Amino acid sequence: MSTHSSEPRRARRALGVGAAVVAASLALAGCSGAGSGEPGSDGPVTLEFWTWSLKEADPAAQAIVEKYEADNPGVTIKLSEVGGTSETSSKLLAADRADEVPDVVQVEYRALPSLVTAGVVRDITQDVEPNRDAVADNIWALSTLGGQVYGVPQDIGPMMLTYRTDLFEKYGVEPPTTWAEYAEAAEKIHAADPDVYLASFSATQLEFFSAQAAQAGAQWWDTDGDTWSVGIDGDASLETADFWQDLVERDLLSVEPLLTPEWNAKVNDGKVLSWAAAAWAPSVIYSVAPDTAGKWASIPLPQWTPGDASVPFLGGSTYLVPEKSEHAEEAAKFAAWLGASDEGSELLLTLDLYPGGNAGREATLTSDPPRLMPQQKDFYEIADQVIDDTTIPVVWGPNVNVATNAFGDALNKAALDGTSFRDVYTATQETVVADLEKSGYTVEQP
Amino acid sequence: MTTVELPRRRGTELPRRRGARRGSGSRELTPWLFATPAIVLFTCFLLIPIGYALYLSFRGLRLEGAGAFGRRTEGFVGLDNYVTALTDPELLAGFGRSMVYGAIAIPTVLGLALLFALLLDTPRARLTSFSRTAIFLPYAVPGVIASLLWGFLYLPSTSPISYVARELGGGSLDFFAYPTLYFALANIALWSGVGFNMIIIYTSLRAIPAEIYEAARIDGANEWAIAWRIKIPLVTPALVLTGLFSVIGTVQLYSEPATLRPLASTISSTWVPLMAIYQEAFGNDNLGGAAAASVLLAVGTLALSLVILRFFQRRAFGDA
Repeated sequence: MSTHSSEPRRARRALGVGAAVVAASLALAGCSGAGSGEPGSDGPVTLEFWTWSLKEADPAAQAIVEKYEADNPGVTIKLSEVGGTSETSSKLLAADRADEVPDVVQVEYRALPSLVTAGVVRDITQDVEPNRDAVADNIWALSTLGGQVYGVPQDIGPMMLTYRTDLFEKYGVEPPTTWAEYAEAAEKIHAADPDVYLASFSATQLEFFSAQAAQAGAQWWDTDGDTWSVGIDGDASLETADFWQDLVERDLLSVEPLLTPEWNAKVNDGKVLSWAAAAWAPSVIYSVAPDTAGKWASIPLPQWTPGDASVPFLGGSTYLVPEKSEHAEEAAKFAAWLGASDEGSELLLTLDLYPGGNAGREATLTSDPPRLMPQQKDFYEIADQVIDDTTIPVVWGPNVNVATNAFGDALNKAALDGTSFRDVYTATQETVVADLEKSGYTVEQP
Repeated sequence: MTTVELPRRRGTELPRRRGARRGSGSRELTPWLFATPAIVLFTCFLLIPIGYALYLSFRGLRLEGAGAFGRRTEGFVGLDNYVTALTDPELLAGFGRSMVYGAIAIPTVLGLALLFALLLDTPRARLTSFSRTAIFLPYAVPGVIASLLWGFLYLPSTSPISYVARELGGGSLDFFAYPTLYFALANIALWSGVGFNMIIIYTSLRAIPAEIYEAARIDGANEWAIAWRIKIPLVTPALVLTGLFSVIGTVQLYSEPATLRPLASTISSTWVPLMAIYQEAFGNDNLGGAAAASVLLAVGTLALSLVILRFFQRRAFGDA
């Protein structure tokens, strides 16, 4: 009997598997249709917050969340870390297409235009209106596109050069105040010890090269009404290309990516002596070389023209609210509190960030210097001076990613093969313009 | 109990006829019911995604309305994506790079896999199960982790090889410079791939009847002649299979260079086709362009596989 009954049983089992598979695929299909809840409904609200600055395991971040939750009953903040800017952007785009978005998202300022033009970001101009005075206008400008506010500034990056005080002294080098002095320092250090370099040259740091070109008077992206202009191959820009080509050709900088195990080891061993970046650099260096604390200092970025201290901001992040967030109003309120209220911006300082809000910036002046340079008591005064000198506006185009890859790949190749850096800037210009035009944007012809 | 019941049931005519009468409809349906799980899975996870990729490859984000920060919306763009992919010099260059890598990796991996399999199969081999496991073990390490491990072994400051070289008076070795980079990458494939391919070839060797070897020995053949004249020709189908897998793996090379990219200036964001496709899809938010390049890559892989199979078919499988 068993031999007979086994056949139909198997068939039934097969049917069962088939049914389960159909059910599973229906469930999969159902995922895209999910997403319930009325926008702006009352009652308990959970805000999903994608951020890498507020880490769930960090007691300081937990304190911030608990403070807000206590002041706003019914609101729960759920922190999740989904990666850096590029991972977060990719994930947000995918989440938007799947109609399953978070409520508040941290990205760096440069990622904002591509997300806004993809239709993912909510216009929060009205929501942040009450908080306008808590943040300076040139900082709001970082997250304002075409007159509309799309993000609340979290932190900013006043540009600074962070260097090894002990080793500069050992090699008899003065901290450079101009890029010409920077080149001289590079030469002197490398001549003293061929294993030691003033700094590393990392071609993938598009934002730094863009900021440094802006310091020389270039504007890589700009808008005039509805028209884009792209200035990557402008004269000022190409001169900065020559500057770097000269240093790389004479082997005065080590050509390598930053923050690799290799770079970290060199920073620890005193083989790479400086990093031209922003006020956030000390905390990054501290995280990879804590044993070198006390041997560093930060000064304003070297200048092109002596006496012209104007620089743009470099890096920093903003909080955006996705267009499809179910709790957009509550989300914008929380983002505005954290980034653009006196209370929130002071709390951001506890996370080792340089807050964009006025109160947070003021609080830096009475706080201890970063852990990397406990001896440099005037760190925040210098940073504050740099912010006053930060008069160059930063404009990012909707295709920064395209530029970053085209520029980084070509510049790496040029640095290794010894070919023209100018050609890299020209080629990137062409790629960026062609991409803008392909998407349908109007680009001003030079 | 069954033995008693069985013949009695078989003996009666009625159930069989009843089954036949009813079965005329269900007999046609039954095979379909059995095939349903496969068909559903095949449709859900292969046909629909392929169809969707084809659909996406004709679409792209274009500006709607005006404005410097105007929104881009998805729409039909015709063959734009295919034209872009076909005229992209980097995609072709990436394909070229993966071929150079394959030219180094495939013969080495298969050669070593065959050598190890033959050695394990010799009558005098000792500790075979230990050796087999030891050679196979690296395959269990995921590609990304293997790449990270080797990345640390390659970077001058963390590399013990460079340390020894420096101690001996030489300089650090730059494993990421051209053309060493190709060998450095092939070495990772070698380390993790030899074991897997060896197992396939070894299994095929064990399936050869022992009488053939006995006959050969009676004819005076030594182990070398047996390996060369009998074993290798008989495992050719396994070699063709592993070779085909390796070629497909080469075209689809991704995790090793992508993992090493942050460590090496020489690896660009579009170093191999899959990296370019990933970049296009998730970095540049151009799913249409990525879909078009994927379709082209899939068609290319299929064509390459067919050519290889056709070329080896006669030798390996004896077909006309």
